Amino acid sequence: MKIAVCFKVVPDDQDILVNSDRSLDYSKAQQIVSTYDLNAIEVAAQLASTHEASLVALTAGSALIDSSKLKKGVLSRGVDELFMIADDACTNMDALATAAALADLVTKNGGFDLIICGDGSADNFARQVDVQLAAKLGLPVVTSASKLAIEAGALVVERSLEDVIEVVRVSMPAVVSVTPDAALPRIPGMKEIVAAGKKPSEVQASGSSVVSALEVLDCRAPEQVARKLQVIDASQDGAIEQFVAALKAAV
Amino acid sequence: MKTLVFAERSEAAIRLAAGARTVANEVVLVLIGELPATVGSADKIIHIALPTGEVYDNAADTVNAVFDSEAPDLVLIESTRHLRVIAGKLAAHVGTSVITDVIEFDGSTPVSMYFGGVAHRKLKASGVSILTIGPSVFSDVPATEVAPESAVIEEAAWVAPSAALELLEVRPIEKSGVDLFGADVVVAAGRGFAEESDLELARDLCSKLNAGLGCSRPLTEGLDWLPTEAYIGVSGQMLEPKVYIAVGISGQMQHMVGCNRAETIFAINKDKNAPIFKQCDYGLVGDLKTLLPALSAAL
Ligand SMILES: Cc1cc2nc3c(=O)[nH]c(=O)nc-3n(C[C@H](O)[C@H](O)[C@H](O)COP(=O)(O)OP(=O)(O)OC[C@H]3O[C@@H](n4cnc5c(N)ncnc54)[C@H](O)[C@@H]3O)c2cc1C
Repeated sequence: MKIAVCFKVVPDDQDILVNSDRSLDYSKAQQIVSTYDLNAIEVAAQLASTHEASLVALTAGSALIDSSKLKKGVLSRGVDELFMIADDACTNMDALATAAALADLVTKNGGFDLIICGDGSADNFARQVDVQLAAKLGLPVVTSASKLAIEAGALVVERSLEDVIEVVRVSMPAVVSVTPDAALPRIPGMKEIVAAGKKPSEVQASGSSVVSALEVLDCRAPEQVARKLQVIDASQDGAIEQFVAALKAAV
Repeated sequence: MKTLVFAERSEAAIRLAAGARTVANEVVLVLIGELPATVGSADKIIHIALPTGEVYDNAADTVNAVFDSEAPDLVLIESTRHLRVIAGKLAAHVGTSVITDVIEFDGSTPVSMYFGGVAHRKLKASGVSILTIGPSVFSDVPATEVAPESAVIEEAAWVAPSAALELLEVRPIEKSGVDLFGADVVVAAGRGFAEESDLELARDLCSKLNAGLGCSRPLTEGLDWLPTEAYIGVSGQMLEPKVYIAVGISGQMQHMVGCNRAETIFAINKDKNAPIFKQCDYGLVGDLKTLLPALSAAL
């Protein structure tokens, strides 16, 4: 059996700065694997190990994502092999374009029984690539999976919806996106990180032209509500009394 | 302009239909599965009856057929987990991407959050716009509730799904009963709480202030110390209490968008450089383990 897991590389939002015109400055932000995709990788790694399947990680993005540290980071999490499209034509793709690029990788490196995606990426959090990828590949898709098992060649998936748990069965191959609570990401040890350096990874060219349907007209930090910003050290004389007085006045 | 509206729940069917009316002269409401008791006012309702035992998502091919025959200029879809699948399949069918979780819409330019609220983006789709949007975006628009029977209902012909899911079981999620929307004062606990037992300190403060206890995401997801309904932020609850007291919370934007419309924000954090101190009215720098008992005693 062959399993693929898709992940997205995004700038670390803790280091995104806001310019004076409220546009964003990413220059200090490292490229990292989007938070919830780590959970997806973990789900895939556990399934692969239970079913003695091979696990391939797939991603597409700008030329920036082709970093050995990043690739090692992914390959140290139970992943056997990594394929990426790292091309500036793939900067800031929307769901339609991302799905097309990932579908290229799936087709080229072929024959996956199961393709796992995360719940949503830290930047867009559109939660659409799973559905669009499945549509592009002509496969069924199950979203919001908090549990999944392979039983008699089919997938049995528990979906955590707003008010109910819905249990469905779907034939393979299929695309499944998992919620963050489906599995907690491992913390790779030294041994895994060293071994990751020897695992195969390949940067491939994008086969088709990448066209996003969405255009970003404007992207700015929202105006913040003016706050009083009265911050005091608790060890200062009367600090607690002042804080309590403000609290009593506010409630 | 013609707008197609999809809603899974009654409130959204009412609000989104009313919102659609402010931007379009023709509103068609599409409802999948059992009809709710009340819906919004539309020129026509298209009902997609789900065959027994069919998963909601399997209606996607029927939805695509409805879209093709109605040829709308705009599609507004309630942002639920089921409907996001329907939306995505429709977008793939049309050759576009969905503009998701729209927080503002003036009829032409939808606004969505980026990085959980770090920025707001104005987006434009080539061709027809498909938006997922919550009922609260149109909370100021006067809405009329009608019984579906009093509207023109058209039954859509079921199109057999091409990539079907098989339904095995549906069971209700047991809710904790935590409801922070009614609370004037909310105390929110973050990862600064080293142990679950320390939450007692926050509970004591809550009882002094008659406050609800909420938290940041890590305390429900991963740690499981508090129920899902208690976490505040872009993917949890979005609150507007009178007073918000963030304890041991760093102030990441994904959390702050859930509370930054509070009237007054208080923060307790041992790190004087924590981002929360740039977003609060009153901040106290120190260890929550000593400060919470001191505050409870003084109140
Ligand atoms: C797509 C996406 C969606 C997300 N949605 C949400 C969401 O809806 N809600 C949400 O909350 N998060 C969300 N997150 C996570 C968010 O980015 C942050 O990781 C999270 O809010 C951090 O929680 P925290 O502030 O409790 O923890 P941390 O960031 O770890 O902060 C802990 C703070 O506690 C302080 N502290 C430690 N010990 C003490 C002590 N003894 N006394 C006082 N202070 C102490 C520290 O100085 C630190 O500032 C989301 C993330 C992503 C990627």
